[in-house]
Amino acid sequence: MKFDRRLLLNFDWKLFGMVLIICSIGVMNIYSTGFSLADARHTPLYMKQMQSMTIGILAMFIAFSVDYRFITRHAYIIYGISIALLIAVFFLGTAVKGSQRWINLVGFSFQPSELMKLTLILALSKYFDEHRLPQPYRLRELAIPFLIVFLPFFIILKQPDLGTALMLLILFVSLVFFVGVRLKSVLPAAAGILTLLPAAWFFLKDYQKQRLLTFLNPDEDPLGTGYHILQSMIAVGSGGFLGKGFLKGTQTQLKFLPEQQTDFIFSVFAEEWGFLGGLVLVLIFLALILWGVKIARHARDYAGMLIAFGITMLLFWEVFINIGMVLGLLPVVGIPLPFLSYGGSSLVVMMTAVGLLLNISVRRYILQF
Amino acid sequence: MASRHNRLNGHDSAEFHQRFRLLLLIIVCTMAVLVVRMWHLQVIKGSELYQRSESNSMRNRTIRAVRGVILDTNRKVLVDNQAAFDILLYPQRAGNVQDVTNRFATLCTERSLSYPEEILQIRKTRSVEPLRIERNISREKLVLVEAHTLELPGMVSEVVPVRQYLQGEKMAHVIGYMGEISPEDLEKEGMRYASGDMVGKFGIERYLDASLRGTNGAENVVVNVVGKEVRILGRLSPIAGRNVVLTIDSVLQEAAWDALEGRPGSVVALDPRDGSVLAMVSSPAFDPNLFRGGISVRDWKKLSQDPAHPLENRAISGQYPPGSTYKLVVAAAALEEGLVTPDTSFHCNGSFTLGNRTFHCWQKHGHGRVSLHRAIVSSCDVYFYNLGKLLGVDKIAHYARAFGFGEATGIDLPREKGGIIPTREWKLARFKKPWQPGETISISIGQGFNTVTPLQLALAYGTLANGGTLWRPRIVRQIETIDGKVVQAFTPEKRGTLPISEKNRLLIRDALWGVVNEPGGTGGALRRKEADVAGKTGTAQVVGLPSAGKVRSFSTRFRDHALFVCFAPHDRPEIVVAVIAENAGHGGSAAAPVARKVIDAYFDQKNQAGKEQTVRQDSPSRSKPSLAAVKPDPARKEDP
Repeated sequence: MKFDRRLLLNFDWKLFGMVLIICSIGVMNIYSTGFSLADARHTPLYMKQMQSMTIGILAMFIAFSVDYRFITRHAYIIYGISIALLIAVFFLGTAVKGSQRWINLVGFSFQPSELMKLTLILALSKYFDEHRLPQPYRLRELAIPFLIVFLPFFIILKQPDLGTALMLLILFVSLVFFVGVRLKSVLPAAAGILTLLPAAWFFLKDYQKQRLLTFLNPDEDPLGTGYHILQSMIAVGSGGFLGKGFLKGTQTQLKFLPEQQTDFIFSVFAEEWGFLGGLVLVLIFLALILWGVKIARHARDYAGMLIAFGITMLLFWEVFINIGMVLGLLPVVGIPLPFLSYGGSSLVVMMTAVGLLLNISVRRYILQF
Repeated sequence: MASRHNRLNGHDSAEFHQRFRLLLLIIVCTMAVLVVRMWHLQVIKGSELYQRSESNSMRNRTIRAVRGVILDTNRKVLVDNQAAFDILLYPQRAGNVQDVTNRFATLCTERSLSYPEEILQIRKTRSVEPLRIERNISREKLVLVEAHTLELPGMVSEVVPVRQYLQGEKMAHVIGYMGEISPEDLEKEGMRYASGDMVGKFGIERYLDASLRGTNGAENVVVNVVGKEVRILGRLSPIAGRNVVLTIDSVLQEAAWDALEGRPGSVVALDPRDGSVLAMVSSPAFDPNLFRGGISVRDWKKLSQDPAHPLENRAISGQYPPGSTYKLVVAAAALEEGLVTPDTSFHCNGSFTLGNRTFHCWQKHGHGRVSLHRAIVSSCDVYFYNLGKLLGVDKIAHYARAFGFGEATGIDLPREKGGIIPTREWKLARFKKPWQPGETISISIGQGFNTVTPLQLALAYGTLANGGTLWRPRIVRQIETIDGKVVQAFTPEKRGTLPISEKNRLLIRDALWGVVNEPGGTGGALRRKEADVAGKTGTAQVVGLPSAGKVRSFSTRFRDHALFVCFAPHDRPEIVVAVIAENAGHGGSAAAPVARKVIDAYFDQKNQAGKEQTVRQDSPSRSKPSLAAVKPDPARKEDP
């Protein structure tokens, strides 16, 4: 494929810039979490994150330069590969904290469930693009999309990784509502699920039940499961309006914050940079999301719109759920904060997703090849 | 190819326009919720949560004051401090307490170290106070804890001084022991103590706990999540405890302890000139060093349930019938009341009859006609039966009290008992029965309801010896600061004067001299060339006494207690010694030799000091007590 000048001409510098800013904040933040460790034997986490970022930028440009229609055409194959990787995790994967999520890919430890989020968006977009109906979908017309989502959903639930599994469902529901569904078909289904929800309680693992209970009342058991959420809220709150300053967050530096470089990274930021810093970060995220919506809105074709929408939703829900959890608004589920949480898989996948957004953004100007 | 893609047209835009607007609304609203929540946490609740983050990482750590040392009258160190390590567990930092204790137990087992089983019972706790997992740990375990800080979050070692009782059993009852403060005391004492504090439980350790313990300091430290100190913010230095100088002379104490040879009994030696206690031994004893890391349940059971009562200080809480040593009181009373003169004599044919009861003299064949002097020397019971009959119980009690019997002496030790000096009134109140004349006869030779403590006995003879001054006995000479400045001096305290004329006093004193030095005297064992001794034997019957211990071993429990009280030199007395050997038989044969060894030790030491004084014209060097808490003094071996 010959490189098109117009790709550069119409490149979405604003989107790229925003992502770079957020990623830089992320690296700086991770530097702070590892600041007091100062263990020379290991590569510092922020260095690893920068390596991931480099790989991510590479992946972003690949995702950007290949025409998204080409990618959409092969969405099912990509989906198939992702499912295969997910299954491979059970045989080849490594377990961390009782959950088997990682697989080794050419020297890199990789989390296929992160990739699955993006792949699902592609597969569903392809399906809805090819089975577009003039009227809203009925439930039975959604049978195949259901299949597409539930296969990875159950595999990931088995790992177990409730957060990512839920994320797949949320993406699915978002897309379904976006493409349009007959309310008459959805409402009975929703009612059915709601009545079944209490039954689902029995299928939750003990620690998951405990997390839900803790969410409802974190002060009940401050040293046990409530510890995470309480320490997180203390960290955020103690930051005050202006924050304690870079590298000066006591909750962070003295390790009172659990999972501080991954799921609770936002509390580190909020403790050290205060309300003002948090507000700026949330606003950058908001701008990014709104930019994504704009790209979806102005996409050249239906598939592009669906993909852009899906990716934007992924970004939106992850930001909302993660920060909501850190602030004690939502129960603790393992969902990373895009671009900020430490973790190569999430970062590379999110940057690939941004690459696709750039892809869709730039190609609306290119009418034909 | 491109045709396969659904191009968006105008109709589509209209259709999706609505959805995009709804979407924007949802996005902006949810993000606003996050911002509002941030405002709530960071601005509205900001200072409150800031406090909580501070209290997360700030610890007010107490710095224990070094406990004062205890010295004998010659400034020999009796009790010192040593460094030991305790293991603490901060539940808040442990995350899962059970995980940590289990891991600790596993680590201990792997190295075949023991650990307290109770720790496995510790469940989740909400306490922010540290739990004291184990006291006085071994060096191996200290290394284990320090090397595994990351695997044992919240578990830290703490340096604590522990007591080193250099005299072991010999001085156990005087010095006492320490233990963890009881919940009741904690409630009573309020501010001054904290839970888990070690406090004096017995003896001087308890009596002078407030002076010995000093004032703890504090340190404000920043700690991380596993409780490791990161930096120190502020410090308030502790004030070291006061040193206590006793009147006890450890040479005499050792001589007295050795002389008893582990038999149950008690020895008290004091200076009659001011009431200073020079030695106070109670046997059997316990090793106070057992208590220093917190005594084990097994050891405590063994001590507290031992039928020989090793935890009791017999010198002040053992109440014994005085036997013939009580004749001192009866003789003084009879003389002073004018009922007898030195020339009055009674005939002793071996028994005495009152009503239908017959009372025997210890000498079955009788002493013949005896005067007061001979009656004391040969300890004739019949003579004193006669005196008792003439005096009546209340007169005897009056003089007994003048000698300090029947009430606690007020010595600076806890749990002192007062003994019993019966009167008519006392019996009526106690037993709701009138006094029987026959009971007076028993009282007159120190049997019956009478009970005295060894300390009272020594004090009474000291009062006679010193010219009639009844002192409050003194066991603490002074309390000093760590650098030797006297904070409080315990001066001799007069409790009363003997209501006995000098003539009568000397009469009795000479008779007591006769007991030791005249032919036929019962205390011949004390006869010495120099520094002649005056004293009195006593043999107290145990059978049928209400206060007789119910747990003496069968073969010996009915044997008599042997008593001996003496002072020397008889005309310028410097030392009084009272000995009680339980179930040991006759005072002259079982108790007098013990007293002899103490008297000998006293004068040997004095002569030696006198010689040294003449050789080196300086005062005996004062040994400074060591206050460094780490120096392990080789503990002296006890007698096997």
